[in-house]
Amino acid sequence: MNTVDFLNSREDLLSPGISACQGCMAELSLRVILKVLGEKTVLVVPPGCMAGAAVGGWNKSLGTKIPAAMPQLGNSASMLAGIKAAYDLVDPDVHCLAYAGDGGTADIGLQALSAAAERRDNIIYVCNDNEAYMNTGFQKSGTTPHGARTSTTPVGSVGRGKVNFKKDVPMMMAMQNTAYVATLTPAYMNDFVEKVQKAATIKDGLVYLHVLNPCPTGWGTKPENSIAYARAAVQSRYFLLYEYRNYEFTVSAPTKNIREPKDVTEFLQKQKRFAHLDEQDYEEVRRVVNSRWENLKKLAGL
Amino acid sequence: MENEYRVVYGDSGLYVLDTASWRTFRPVIDETKCVNCGTCLLYCPVCAVKKVDGRIQIDLSYCKGCGICRTECPKQAIMWVKEEE
Repeated sequence: MNTVDFLNSREDLLSPGISACQGCMAELSLRVILKVLGEKTVLVVPPGCMAGAAVGGWNKSLGTKIPAAMPQLGNSASMLAGIKAAYDLVDPDVHCLAYAGDGGTADIGLQALSAAAERRDNIIYVCNDNEAYMNTGFQKSGTTPHGARTSTTPVGSVGRGKVNFKKDVPMMMAMQNTAYVATLTPAYMNDFVEKVQKAATIKDGLVYLHVLNPCPTGWGTKPENSIAYARAAVQSRYFLLYEYRNYEFTVSAPTKNIREPKDVTEFLQKQKRFAHLDEQDYEEVRRVVNSRWENLKKLAGL
Repeated sequence: MENEYRVVYGDSGLYVLDTASWRTFRPVIDETKCVNCGTCLLYCPVCAVKKVDGRIQIDLSYCKGCGICRTECPKQAIMWVKEEE
């Protein structure tokens, strides 16, 4: 069955109307993940865009058709590990899913996540990476890229956007031998669905999925171009698609099959958060993008 | 004392927002160009696109009008019609 018919046949487990922005890719990713995992799933959504869009519930109602809860920002992984331990006594086939933002993963929730990976708790932890704290007004997070304008790294006579570089959380999780690590983006939906299906079969430890979700409101892009930006991020090797399992890295097809990578300017140029960058900054981004790709090639033995 | 908590499971207690009211333009399929490939179905963030008996249909009841279906359509088969008052 192809991906279109598969997704068409699955039930949408999210409320049809949630208050995510127009063109929000985090909403699409969550819907697809829930479609693939099915209704035997328990969802945990820490404060962030998706919890703000009522997935975690408002006023005694809930945004999902499956059980969902809102943990504290820092403890989604540990709370979910407890839920999983309880479900193991009743039905071990229940998928315990966390859908956290990049702030709740890379900054605030990192300790709980890393500890759960070390204990090899069998939970699925998805990081919705939109590269800043988008829900509270675009503050800088650990995964915000170099040079991006956010409300806490403004651009003016002194500041020139974020000074430091993006924290590579999937690589960090791979280096501590998490049971399964994968990077995904909704522009490559076949690859996306395959990875979530594979994640559902892993039973020996924590599954970490890192999803790059373009955010039209925060990135300053048009809603209709969200998928195009996700695709440009992969095609310019700004975001690398790969899997990690049992000390082995596998570069996924969309990244592996790039013959002529596009220039990073293709991805950066039309975003308002990068509008102030000049050729020197582009060169800096190119250098980082290149060294990350060279590093992955060595790890995957390409 | 009456319990004020509800069991929220399935459709009962589901939070539903009328997101269709956000829309300024609506997508309309040009049946002469559409080849029913389903690209719009893959990328619609609100899952408003369905495939019924092999034909693509757009359910406008929660469509936010983001326009992703229109940009991604490989055949340019989605027309963009302004919502009237």
